Amino acid sequence: MYRIRFHGRGGQGMKTASRMLGSAFFAEGFEVQDAPRYGAERRGAPIFAYVRADRAPINERGIIRQPDLVIVADDSLVAVPAAGVLGGMTSDTVLLINSHESPDTWRHRLNAQSTILVLPEPFEPEDHAELPYAGAACAGAAAQLLGVIPWASMEQALRHELAELAPAVIETNVTRARTAFERMEPHRGCVREGRAVSAADYVPPNWVEVPFEAARISAPAIHAPATSVEVKTGLWRTLRPVIDYDRCSRCWWVCSSFCPDSAINVDAAGRPEIDYDHCKGCMICVAQCPPHAIETIPEHDAQAAEGGKE
Amino acid sequence: MSAREAMIKRMKDLPSTHLLGTGTPMCAGCGGLEALHEVYDVLGENSVFVNAAGCMTLLSVYPFTPFRGSWLYTAMASAPAGAQGVRDALDILLEKKRVTKAEDLEVAVLTGDGAAYGMGLSATSGAIERNLDFLYLCYDNEGYGNTGQQYSGATPHAAKTATSGGPRGFAGYKKDLFAIWVAHKPAYVATVVGAEPLDLARKIEKAKQLTGPRLIIALAPCPPGWGYDPKDSVDIGRLAVRTGVWPLKEYVDGKVVHTKIPHPRRPVEEYLSKQGRFAHLFAPKRNEALLAQLQAKVDAYWAQVSE
Ligand SMILES: Cc1ncc(C[n+]2csc(CCOP(=O)(O)OP(=O)(O)O)c2C)c(N)n1
Ligand code: SF4
Ligand SMILES: [Mg+2]
Repeated sequence: MYRIRFHGRGGQGMKTASRMLGSAFFAEGFEVQDAPRYGAERRGAPIFAYVRADRAPINERGIIRQPDLVIVADDSLVAVPAAGVLGGMTSDTVLLINSHESPDTWRHRLNAQSTILVLPEPFEPEDHAELPYAGAACAGAAAQLLGVIPWASMEQALRHELAELAPAVIETNVTRARTAFERMEPHRGCVREGRAVSAADYVPPNWVEVPFEAARISAPAIHAPATSVEVKTGLWRTLRPVIDYDRCSRCWWVCSSFCPDSAINVDAAGRPEIDYDHCKGCMICVAQCPPHAIETIPEHDAQAAEGGKE
Repeated sequence: MSAREAMIKRMKDLPSTHLLGTGTPMCAGCGGLEALHEVYDVLGENSVFVNAAGCMTLLSVYPFTPFRGSWLYTAMASAPAGAQGVRDALDILLEKKRVTKAEDLEVAVLTGDGAAYGMGLSATSGAIERNLDFLYLCYDNEGYGNTGQQYSGATPHAAKTATSGGPRGFAGYKKDLFAIWVAHKPAYVATVVGAEPLDLARKIEKAKQLTGPRLIIALAPCPPGWGYDPKDSVDIGRLAVRTGVWPLKEYVDGKVVHTKIPHPRRPVEEYLSKQGRFAHLFAPKRNEALLAQLQAKVDAYWAQVSE
């Protein structure tokens, strides 16, 4: 059985990529599962989707823990633990990253024995949330690396999944998928099918036995206010707003009131401060600041300038 | 200019630190979350939220919550019934002196438009009929946002949704929930939008002083559902007001008053053209007839508003 996991940010088309690949497998006579992980698939948030394909009926369910192929549409996710990109990878897993850095750099950085390949975007976008064709490119590359999906089936699946879009957009997607497919030609078929896993070999996790208790005790009550601050939604950010305090007129309320996420607070002197642990990078503050005192910096540049936030 | 100065002074009265916690799973630029955080700042932490299924259900996912008080999740049609139960329980505790007047809580219903304009309508009608003392906040993103923006009773005519495509978009018309609620003669009904925080804060303050059913509809610009860049959320909310598409008004003491009459009213097109869900009105060819129809509908609304 082939087990493929796609990683990206909400909006980068990984769900569509999994569907395109799943349909192509299906056209080749495989049994297929493809699904995004259901949850808060918000723009910029780390998400994943997966595909299982086999010649025999698939009895496995749930998320893929031991992938044969991992595809990452956004290289900034590799270092984000919450994204779980490296989870369950072994030396047999092939890792394909949409990145401008070399496979050697990644191998060194990750200290990994796996086959690592890169598929650079043809241009470096300022905002990584804008990778409109990444899904098609990732699916096209995957088809080639698997070696069991000819281009014709991939193209047909792609046209089928994107049928609702404007003709020009479909053609660009096809071209991007085809380019990625061709680029991966030297690595054709490098992904090997993973072992069949029998339910008999299943080892349950170390469950904690919880006795049956009255709802007063067992209900999932939260005993502290505003615990959501523990969730670092700053990870979603692909653009970073930065306040130029020389230009900020201490208007008091504009950026702070409009920020949907309560991520800008103003001190008694009227000085606003952005909470980067939680700012999702919506950039409403940039658009609304009356003296235009808030600038936009691509998050990957900001992090590079900080010396890489690992 | 004294009125304007007074207004600016009031703007400085808007809170500069916020009660609603950060770290929620709402989309970047969510207009509903913007309205909620502005409402919560005024409403205060002595409140219980009763939340029907929708995007905002994801606010409180154990063990995380942005609220400082309790939160109850109900089925999509039943939030006002849930609020009745919470209010009754509080009243019993007050009567038994297990809760003091100072410890009493404001019961607030929080639902999307799918619930408010559709399957939650009868529970709301019943709650108003029983004169339930509660506040209802509907964040209106004009569709079933959480499940991928299918159309709802709040979807505007001609908008594209996941279930209304084609060159003419949604064939139905946005239901007038304000009028439906007002027909019940509750204590208070108002429309707000996060892009007008001062108008919103004043209305929530007013609602807070009243007892009985108080119902608020917040237009909630939704980047993924409406098809625009998250940074434009506030501009789009403001344009909804300035083009007259979203009239800001309140119903109190048996009268409807418009709180912000747009002068001059900008062409509706300015609002529509910024959103992907109306793109088919402009390309491949401008649909002059449909654009004129949408403008005429807004004009007709304002023609019957006396200033
Ligand atoms: C009775 C029922 N039907 C369908 C659903 C699935 N569902 C969950 S959220 C949602 C959309 C609700 O739309 P709305 O009230 O506008 O809130 P939004 O998602 O836009 O925030 C639906 C249909 C449900 N939870 N309950
Ligand atoms: S889908 Fe729309 S309403 Fe729902 S969280 Fe996202 S922006 Fe807000
Ligand atoms: Mg909705």
